[in-house]
Amino acid sequence: MEIAVKVQDLTKRYPNVLAVAHIDFEVHRGEFFGFLGPNGAGKTTTINILTGVTRATSGEASILGHNVATEPVKAKEHIGVVPDTPNLYNEMTASANMVFCAKLHGVPKEKRKKRANELLELVGLHDRRNDRVGTFSRGMKKRLMVAAAFVHEPEILFLDEPTTGLDVQSAREIRSLIRELNRQGTTVFLTTHYLEEADVFCRRLAIIAKGKIITEGTPEKLKLSTQVEQVIEVSFDHTEDMADKLKQLSHVKDVITAGDKFRLHVDDPSETLPSIFDFAKSNHLKIVSINTLKPTLEDAFVKLTGLRAETMAVEKEQMKPNRG
Amino acid sequence: MSQAWVEDLKRAVYLAEKDIKIYFLKGPNLIFGLLLPVSLFISFSIGRTVDLTFAIPGLIAIAAFFGAGAIQAISLPLERRTGTFNLLLTAPISLFAIVLGKALAGFIYGVILSLAYAVIMLPFSPLPNMPLFFVGILFCSFTFSTFGLLLSAPFRDIPQAMPPATVVRIAMIFISGVFIPLATMPTFLQVVAYALPLTYSVDSLRQAMSGSINPQMFLIDLGAQVVFSLIFLAVTVWVLKKTTE
Repeated sequence: MEIAVKVQDLTKRYPNVLAVAHIDFEVHRGEFFGFLGPNGAGKTTTINILTGVTRATSGEASILGHNVATEPVKAKEHIGVVPDTPNLYNEMTASANMVFCAKLHGVPKEKRKKRANELLELVGLHDRRNDRVGTFSRGMKKRLMVAAAFVHEPEILFLDEPTTGLDVQSAREIRSLIRELNRQGTTVFLTTHYLEEADVFCRRLAIIAKGKIITEGTPEKLKLSTQVEQVIEVSFDHTEDMADKLKQLSHVKDVITAGDKFRLHVDDPSETLPSIFDFAKSNHLKIVSINTLKPTLEDAFVKLTGLRAETMAVEKEQMKPNRG
Repeated sequence: MSQAWVEDLKRAVYLAEKDIKIYFLKGPNLIFGLLLPVSLFISFSIGRTVDLTFAIPGLIAIAAFFGAGAIQAISLPLERRTGTFNLLLTAPISLFAIVLGKALAGFIYGVILSLAYAVIMLPFSPLPNMPLFFVGILFCSFTFSTFGLLLSAPFRDIPQAMPPATVVRIAMIFISGVFIPLATMPTFLQVVAYALPLTYSVDSLRQAMSGSINPQMFLIDLGAQVVFSLIFLAVTVWVLKKTTE
């Protein structure tokens, strides 16, 4: 299978931080590849090196065989980039931004406007094509960024947290757009906080933490690799935090609060279930729901990175748009 | 010239077009480009007997100096702050072509402003050698545009970039023979003056406007500006490379 992105012993060192530490991975052509990790893990630094925004301290990275350090222009001819922060000109209209990106990427003059209009239609911004981007909402800007990144029909699309901070509807539209581009053959390199997003879309994943790749594989393989314990999910008619009390029950290894539910990590559910019922009875609680769960990608992630799910949730929360 | 070079240059021109559309009418550009040269000129002229044939070339040179540099003080730091510079970095265009494109935008702004000043000043000063005057304008506008880029390259925001750039420019004006003839300055200042690009720009414009052309000196003026421009471009690319590491 042809290699679209190849990274070998890549390292990025800032004066006081080792942001990326000797990582290796490959992305195959046509693949939907997820690059997961908490904030500060090295995801954006890796994407920045691959897309020419910054340079590696050592190691090599190539795009379709072109070394990003020694043949940067050739490497960049094959890529489209949607960074985590807006990168389009607020002073220009949506259409002018698209045409400018098309020019920068060498789209022939006769095709620029047509291509810009087609993509603006695809992302639902054709009616706003003559409006300045500065007047757009965050979701609209993100959709325009995806369209602009795809104006030259790149073979590889790099997406850094494309749905973070978007409302549900905008995130859904972006996801369906990216999925469609991948279905048409575009290689997608996605970094995301949203593990459910990665689980649904990515054919293969790498998890990075503290600059190092901890594991790599398909989402199912990663889940199976961490399936040493099982999970019971329970919710009660009272919503106060009972995680510490539940942790005291027999055979419970860990308890994670997920909204109004508690996820109990156990070795054997049949041993723990009776004690949950006893716990409910003795605390005058009613069980609203109880289920045994297969490990999710989030569970695998928590297990592999040592991060608690709450940490990820806080990080996600901090990146949401301001409301009201 | 290889196809890759041609493509890179084309993209530099697209970048210049975009900068012209976005930044030409920004407030700081108009203030620095249009108002500052004339206010400096008036402040220095009040209460003095001013030889217009000496002063007007200086005024036009500082119009190019501030005009060409003003757009750079905004465009580069602003692009870096807002994230649009990353759009350029991820596009298939070399860093040199990005810098060149930005230099072209400033160059055009400098040419327009200095020509506007020249048209206004024409009734007060004869212009015996129009073609050489125009050549002088082209060279000094490009030199000052690259100089403006160099001054703004280390910074990531306009408020950081503006003060040092303004201080350096104003200091240069008083050492480069714009208002005071070089011959009347102390020797060490004359030595400093010859290390500054504005000295050569003012001299070339003064020769073209006075009509007494010394071909050798005129060519030295143009050559010095080419050398300065190349150095400024190269150092700007180096600084940007360092600051994006």
